[in-house]
Amino acid sequence: MSTIAETVPQRPTRRRMRVDGWRWAGRIFLVFMLLYTALPMIWMLITSIKSGFAAMQFPPQWWPDEPTLASYQKLLDPQNSVGQDFLRFFWNSLYVSTVTTILSVIVAVPAAYAFSRFRFPGRNFLFFTVLLRNMFPAVIFLVPLFILMRAIGLVNTHGSLILTYLTFGLPLAIWLLKGFYDNIPVQLEQAARIDGATRFQAFILIVMPLSTPGIIATAIYSFIGAWNEYIYAYTFLSKNEQLTLPVGIQRFFSENTTDFPGLMAASFMMSVPVVVLFLLLQRYFVRALTEGAVKH
Amino acid sequence: MTIVTGKTEARRRLQPGSSGLLRNIWKHRADYAYVLPAIAVMLIVIAYPIYYTVELSFFKTPPGLQLRDKSFIGLDNYTAILTSQVFWKVTLNTLIWTIASTFVAFVLGFAAALALHREFIGRGVLRAILIIPWVISAVAASYIWKWIYHSDFGIIGAVLVGLGLADRPPNFIDNVSTVLPSLIVVNIWREFPFAMIMMMAGLQTVPDQLLRAAEVDGANAWQRFWHVTFPHLRNVSTVTILLLAVANFNSFIIPWIMTGGGPSNASHIWITHIYELAFGRQRWGVASAYSVLLFLMLMVLGYFYVRALAGNERKEGGA
Repeated sequence: MSTIAETVPQRPTRRRMRVDGWRWAGRIFLVFMLLYTALPMIWMLITSIKSGFAAMQFPPQWWPDEPTLASYQKLLDPQNSVGQDFLRFFWNSLYVSTVTTILSVIVAVPAAYAFSRFRFPGRNFLFFTVLLRNMFPAVIFLVPLFILMRAIGLVNTHGSLILTYLTFGLPLAIWLLKGFYDNIPVQLEQAARIDGATRFQAFILIVMPLSTPGIIATAIYSFIGAWNEYIYAYTFLSKNEQLTLPVGIQRFFSENTTDFPGLMAASFMMSVPVVVLFLLLQRYFVRALTEGAVKH
Repeated sequence: MTIVTGKTEARRRLQPGSSGLLRNIWKHRADYAYVLPAIAVMLIVIAYPIYYTVELSFFKTPPGLQLRDKSFIGLDNYTAILTSQVFWKVTLNTLIWTIASTFVAFVLGFAAALALHREFIGRGVLRAILIIPWVISAVAASYIWKWIYHSDFGIIGAVLVGLGLADRPPNFIDNVSTVLPSLIVVNIWREFPFAMIMMMAGLQTVPDQLLRAAEVDGANAWQRFWHVTFPHLRNVSTVTILLLAVANFNSFIIPWIMTGGGPSNASHIWITHIYELAFGRQRWGVASAYSVLLFLMLMVLGYFYVRALAGNERKEGGA
């Protein structure tokens, strides 16, 4: 009896020590990851508030002697030709991304609902066909799509980008949303049907509100994907006034290769909308992944 | 609509004895309306391009996109590719790029997810910061890192010189031996957050009772991880690794913006090489043949992807 009494208090302390070892390893690792993640972004911000001259010094000024917002003023000034271009690219990106997002939600919601609820023949085959889209790189589709877009007169229009971007977002959107609908009990809809609602009403009144997090996640995903897309925009658009931000910035800075403060300021401005959007809505995104994609 | 039934009819022929299938399709005809928009978009933007790429790969094409003067040359494009030295160089680069990026991004993301699983002050903020690289545009990321690696004014070079580890700032991206690892670091920077999000989501599905039961039974932290947590995450891990592998195999922006494939092809991967062949040198036929080869390789990956997803599906059905 006495031996047990002696060993029992010892065990928790030993275990706590081991756990602490893992916990410290975790903390050190997180600090390392924080540095790896944040330092490049901090350096971007510091560079963006330097003058062109101050950026080109060795050893570098760790903090600029004379911080200046000149680069940002230049980018946001509609009077200046640089600012004019930048604001136009920004608007183009916003337009293309927003339309893509709205359309992909409209297309993905019914498709995901059908894949989740209905047992029509060929359902699995079609579902996996849709998912397979994820497998193929943009480049494979580039030449034929370019020719196709030219044939239907969409080259040099934002329509060509919107149509193409729809297909990136759709597979993951459908997959995520299907997981959501799988989790919503059919009984809820059946109850509504018994109360006299049509299938469509049941869908709008019962299923849609319950799947809002999934729809928000889908929308974020489409928006970010469209906002950041580069290769199709680079190939389909040639007129300066139609370029989206990634291509516009690349084209601009291939002509001004040494304006690193301007480049960093532009990179920052380009990142702000998607980062803010994501940070505001990230809990929906993680929840959607938990409930949609990776549940058991 | 017709396409959908065409596909299912093809399936019907494969399954003898399902004579009720047509009636079944007819009974479910309204269901197809829901998936039709998705399928239609997919067909325009996927099926047609695939067909066209395969066709072009058998032709010798003139430069420019006036493709009317193409002439049939059978498999010549394919033999030209497989016998060229660049092909093997680029394939090796692609393998190194894909495997290294996927493996490291997954391990870092998984470890970060585990470390963030426990509640502590500032966890939400930390998690948000770690996700940011995944959200920002790859073009922005490429420029940020290009500036960091800059051979004269780059911060890494300056730090190395400041610490006395180098006499002069090393040239990371204009150097045949360091360019690929340098770009992989950028790629991992952008991709580990995806693995982290997926694994965080996966960790929430591990039942707490099991972990506590294991703890009561005297399992230490490692044993609990290895025998309880990890088996629960096998499916999520497979899907995450496959998605990362496919994304890496298909990546384009980082090498294209940072180096354009140079110096002397040291950072060319398949996609950048195909792009250069097609839009740089206008050799559409060869580029299409490359795409078909790529496509075949992806089908192999795709097989595992679908199998992993189908595994999830079956589990769902059983639950």
